[in-house]
Amino acid sequence: MKFLSDFSNIFKRYDLDTEVKKQEARKISDDPVLDAIGKFVVEGEAEDIEAPVKKALETKAPMDVINDGLVKGMNEVSRLWDEGVYFLPQVILAADAMNAGIALCEAKMGKAMDRKGKVVTHTAEGDIHDIGQVIANALLNAGGFEVINLGCDCPVDTVVATVKAEKPIMVTGTALMTTTMTAFPKICHQLEAAGIVIPFISGGGAVAEEWSTSFPLSIWGKEDGWSCGLAEDALAGMGWEDMRSKWNG
Amino acid sequence: MNSKERVLAVLNHQKPDRMPCFTANSTVTYDQMEKVGAYWPEGHDQAEPMAKQAMAAYTILGFDVVRAPFDQMTEAEALGAKVKSGGEKGIPGAAEPPVYTIDDIPPKELPADYLSRARIPELLKAITIMKKELGDEVLIEAGIIGPFSIAAYLLGVTKTLKASLKAPDKLLPFLEISEKAGTALAHALIDAGADIIANEDMTASPDIIMPKSYHDLVYQFQAKQFEEINVPTILHICGDVGSIIEWEGKSGPDILSLEPATDLKLAREIVGPKPIFMGGADAAKVLFMKTPDEVKAACREQVEAGIQILAPGCAVAPGTPTENLIAMVEVAKSYTS
Repeated sequence: MKFLSDFSNIFKRYDLDTEVKKQEARKISDDPVLDAIGKFVVEGEAEDIEAPVKKALETKAPMDVINDGLVKGMNEVSRLWDEGVYFLPQVILAADAMNAGIALCEAKMGKAMDRKGKVVTHTAEGDIHDIGQVIANALLNAGGFEVINLGCDCPVDTVVATVKAEKPIMVTGTALMTTTMTAFPKICHQLEAAGIVIPFISGGGAVAEEWSTSFPLSIWGKEDGWSCGLAEDALAGMGWEDMRSKWNG
Repeated sequence: MNSKERVLAVLNHQKPDRMPCFTANSTVTYDQMEKVGAYWPEGHDQAEPMAKQAMAAYTILGFDVVRAPFDQMTEAEALGAKVKSGGEKGIPGAAEPPVYTIDDIPPKELPADYLSRARIPELLKAITIMKKELGDEVLIEAGIIGPFSIAAYLLGVTKTLKASLKAPDKLLPFLEISEKAGTALAHALIDAGADIIANEDMTASPDIIMPKSYHDLVYQFQAKQFEEINVPTILHICGDVGSIIEWEGKSGPDILSLEPATDLKLAREIVGPKPIFMGGADAAKVLFMKTPDEVKAACREQVEAGIQILAPGCAVAPGTPTENLIAMVEVAKSYTS
């Protein structure tokens, strides 16, 4: 059993003063430029981040700037989110800052950074609540995956056609409304019928575990924080049934 | 007591014969549509089918109040937002792209023909039909959308969230016009026959924005809105609202509609005795997914924790089985005074 020894964060969410104090974000790097980059990700400053990224690129390899500055900053954001210090707006802004930095690094490399594998993400047809998907995209991006972002209100046929064309390691669907999540079993059945057997992560506010695991290919994605773990399993070749037993009850 | 007397008793902080059951949100399901012979999408933009579907909450389910409309786009659409039909199965939603960017300045006043725009005239007619048909037996509830959620429809949710952190001042004129849009609609709905106004402000939930943003940006507009509405009011914000409930209470609604995620005992300590707590089984995870017995157990747990009006935690999912909704009414009937 885990005992709680530090009570300082318990009432954080009941406190209106949720501005993150400077000392709450941990140090990102001993290198001052990389630390500045990480700090601007944590603070969600997409414009301010450009100068330190450009400075770092004068002496460092672009992939090191990505991994040791930008991604480390996003990991810190992920921690602050998990602990209830950060809310959605901070995470969205941090993702913008990280992506701005990655774009500069990729321009320097003259090509897109090497990625571990493709993940197709979408928000269900009829649903414009893509907030969960925006965060999953940012975390997958930070985790080194190539995100094929189909955005919100995405028809079943588009998802199926994209999977056929792009051959991703995993697909995710987000639905905030009980009226839109019914698209997910349709997608899974069509993929199965086409002989494409890959993990489909069902997530979002309306989606319950019992329902997510009631149709083939689907694994319940309880929270955005699971995104990279699930993608790593898919990358390692784990099948959807094994992933379901590992991640779901 | 009939339903009307029962709900009035609770609103006046007197003892009802039993606990009432009704909701701040939509009650329509496919099954009820079949039973009353009125369907979507007509129920979203034509007065007759809208009234029929709303009244099914009383005639089919036994809820103590009837309520329209069923989607959240009424005001935003009348302010120029593009709407996408939900077809036969869904509710109208916002279409991309949003009508404004954060650098735009929206009009300071509502257009002169605001109340005759988009679907507002049919909604007003539906309320009048409901009042005429059922007004002696049940109170008529009409829904408006809270200022932050309307603003988010005008600007796009993600853009609104970014602005809440980086440029809150730029949101203020959008919140101003959105508050006016909701309040003007509320006045027209009351004139058409509404006895209760429910204010849904989904996007102001701490699941989506910072509690500090609720306090700094939303609270003042909600307080102004409730001040200007002279019938009983309900405030519904989704999710665990423990971090903002003090300000929800202070904004002045008679009833707070709460999802089961909120700790009711702590909430009561914070807001004091006055606001009436409405809530019950989780709309997606229990009412939609589980059996009548599980619905009953979930409802009883919430009543024991302090719920005074039994209700689905949020909008009823249209695929929800009728027996689950009736099970909730049965629980309400079992709490007699």
